[in-house]
Amino acid sequence: MSFEYHEPTSLAEAVALGARFGVDGRFLGGGTDLLIQMRRGKVAPRHVVSLHRVPGLDAIEQNGGIRLGALVTHAAIERCVAFRGGLRALVEGAEVVGGHQIRNVGTVGGNIVNASPAADVVPVLLALDAVVTCVGVDGERLIPLERFLVGPGQSARRPGDLVTAVSFDTPTARTATAFLKAGRRRAMEISVACVAARLTLDAAGERCLDARIALGAVAPTTWRARDAERALEGRAPTPAVFREAGRAAAEGCRPITDVRASAGYRRLLVETLVSRALARCVERLREGAR
Amino acid sequence: MSKMALSLTINGERHDIITEPHRTLLEVLRGDLGLTGTKENCLEAECGVCTVLLDGRAVNSCILFAAQCQGRAVTTIEGLARNGTLDPLQQAFIDHGAVQCGYCIPGMILSAKAFLKEYPDADEGQVREALAGNLCRCTGYQKIADAVLAAARPPAHR
Repeated sequence: MSFEYHEPTSLAEAVALGARFGVDGRFLGGGTDLLIQMRRGKVAPRHVVSLHRVPGLDAIEQNGGIRLGALVTHAAIERCVAFRGGLRALVEGAEVVGGHQIRNVGTVGGNIVNASPAADVVPVLLALDAVVTCVGVDGERLIPLERFLVGPGQSARRPGDLVTAVSFDTPTARTATAFLKAGRRRAMEISVACVAARLTLDAAGERCLDARIALGAVAPTTWRARDAERALEGRAPTPAVFREAGRAAAEGCRPITDVRASAGYRRLLVETLVSRALARCVERLREGAR
Repeated sequence: MSKMALSLTINGERHDIITEPHRTLLEVLRGDLGLTGTKENCLEAECGVCTVLLDGRAVNSCILFAAQCQGRAVTTIEGLARNGTLDPLQQAFIDHGAVQCGYCIPGMILSAKAFLKEYPDADEGQVREALAGNLCRCTGYQKIADAVLAAARPPAHR
């Protein structure tokens, strides 16, 4: 590893450096992925641009909606009191990333930009219809997360552009979220499959008004199971309907067989995890947990 | 290769060093400063033997550029004892026979230190989860968990 290290102290300076270096540069957030990629020789940037002196990138803002700065750590999400109600899935996704040491350093921006199909926080953000803020020398672009994620390790970010934040609406009172992950053990594990669900019921709690199902590690990108979402709309929130949604997700996903699990096993997991996550949303709404 | 000047506060003491930007905190601690209590093993943040505290939070020093620690406070295992008296956690590890080969112990203790500061009333399940990022190849986890629990706030004081 050999590179020039830069520490811009403003967003404008960071963006200018990003534009100057293009594919020869890498922005440094927590570095929990970047350092490993560099040590393995997968990337060899000539310039590393640390973002730590750029003010405001580690802020969690709540102004109607929620805006997570790119440098917000997984630990900060876990500890954020505002996420304990209808946004519980965000905490559940953040708290299974690595161990404490990784969560204290790894950032939400890095989780998104790495575009790993197995990222844990990304399905939750996808289920929240999150939008990514991408800044380049020609200004700011707002890109829906679903369009931002292009393929394994590939995003719609142009070389040199800086992801500064990810934003989403605060869920309504009749909305609950849940995140479930299956790994080969309970900690320090890359997902075999994971699911984030967001479910909105009508006032009586008898009909599903709106649903989002986002899946990790079962497609080239974090993936929205639209057929499963449609299977819920207008229907009663019953175990039978949730199983139907689970089957629709299992049929639509495109898992691979790898060292962690077979494609067939992943499909079975998807079916179960989707219906279980939806049931958990209903439990949360009934408990009035939000 | 470009050199850079860094000012690191390690165990309360300021160190001004000249180094290259690619060097990790782990390399600087062990190589430049001779603080070999922090161990090196997987170099991919899987095993936790390189755990140190950065501004009081547990981090893996193997995947952190030293440059990221400029102006911040680093605590290593060498910094826990005060005036020759072991930290209560260190003493608990001895008292409970939690140390076998010892290689994972500095990281275990520092992870536990940061965790107990935030969750002084932790139960065994929480302690085990807190140490998920620290592997012990001697499989002495039970005694390690016992030691950390013993150093937590006694139940009578909760």
